[in-house]
Amino acid sequence: MKRESGGEIMELQCKAQDDWIVGGHRFSSRLLMGTGKFQDAETMVGAVRASGAQIVTVALRRVGRNPREDDMLGSLGGLKGITLMPNTSGARNASEAIRAARLGRELCGSPFVKVEIHPNPHHLMPDPIETFEAATVLAAEGFVVMPYMPADPVLAKRLEDVGCASLMPLGSAIGSGRGLATAEMLRLILRDARIPVIVDAGLRSPSEAAAALEMGCDAVLVNSAVAASGDPIAMAAAFARAVGAGRDAHRAGLMPQGGGAALATSPLTAFLSVEGA
Amino acid sequence: MGVNLIVNGEAYEAKPLESVTALLERMGGGGRPVVVVLNDEVIPASSWGACGLRDGDRVELFRLVGGG
Repeated sequence: MKRESGGEIMELQCKAQDDWIVGGHRFSSRLLMGTGKFQDAETMVGAVRASGAQIVTVALRRVGRNPREDDMLGSLGGLKGITLMPNTSGARNASEAIRAARLGRELCGSPFVKVEIHPNPHHLMPDPIETFEAATVLAAEGFVVMPYMPADPVLAKRLEDVGCASLMPLGSAIGSGRGLATAEMLRLILRDARIPVIVDAGLRSPSEAAAALEMGCDAVLVNSAVAASGDPIAMAAAFARAVGAGRDAHRAGLMPQGGGAALATSPLTAFLSVEGA
Repeated sequence: MGVNLIVNGEAYEAKPLESVTALLERMGGGGRPVVVVLNDEVIPASSWGACGLRDGDRVELFRLVGGG
C-alpha cells in the first residue's frame, strides 16, 4: 500500500520489518491502547506493557478544587517508547475539540491527537460534520490527526483529503463490546484508503481484533476490552498475540472462499478399491 | 485584601499578585503536569513564577487522566 509520507527507503524498510507509518512516525506494534476505566495505575501500566502498544491514548480534564484523584499517568512515564495521544473527549463541537487538542499538545508534547466529538451521551456516535471541521483545522496546524469516525467510506475519503494521518472508524459503539458490526463499511473504507485504517471502539474479544487485521486494517485501538476484562494484563497480552496473528494472516493471504458446495481436502475416490483397477 | 479569581469556573480568593506557581501549590496540584490557561491564553510553565494574578482573572487548569 502506498503511504502518505516517509519516503521510499523508509517504506522498503517498513515492508521488510512489517512496520507501519502514521503521520511520518514509524511503529511496529499494531495495537493501540486506551488508559481509561482501569481500576488502578499499576494494572493500567501492566496492561500497556503487556500489550506492547506504542501509541497510548489519554484524556484531558480540569483540575478539581481538591484533586484527590490518583495520578494515573505519572507511572506511564517509566515506559519506554510510548507515544501519548491525547483525545478530545468531552468536546461537543469542533471548536471545543480544537481547543482540547491544543491543550493536549501542550501537556503531552506530542503532535498526535485523537479527534473525538460525540455529542450524544447515549450512543456516543461521532459527529461527522464537527469531526471533519476540527480535523481540517488541526491538520493544517501540523497535528497528526487521528479521527474517531463513523465507518463511512465517503467521510473517510474527505478526512483523508484534508490531511488526516489515519482513519479510526468504529467497529461498534464505544464500550459496547459489539465487535465488528461495521465490517462491510470497513471493507469499503479499506478498499480506497491511502492512510492507515485503525478500528477504534467496540471490540470485545481478541478474535475480533484478529479479524480486523485479517481484513486489512492497519491496527486496532482497544480500551474497555482490556480494562473491563477479568484480568486486564493477561487480556492485553492476548490482544497483542491476536493482532499479530491477524496481521500475519493478512500478509499470507486467505484462501479463496467457496460457494455453497464443499471442496474436499482429501481424495474421495478409490478408498477401498485397488489403485488402477 | 485578596483578589477574586475564577478558577475552573468557580470563585477563588487569592493573595494580591499571587503567582501561578503559588496558586497551583495551594490547590494541591504542584509537581504534576498541568496546563495553565489565563484569560484564554496558555501560560508556559517557565512564566508561572513571574506571572502575578489580578482581580477578575479567569484561570483554567487542565491535566491528563486515563482515557480511550
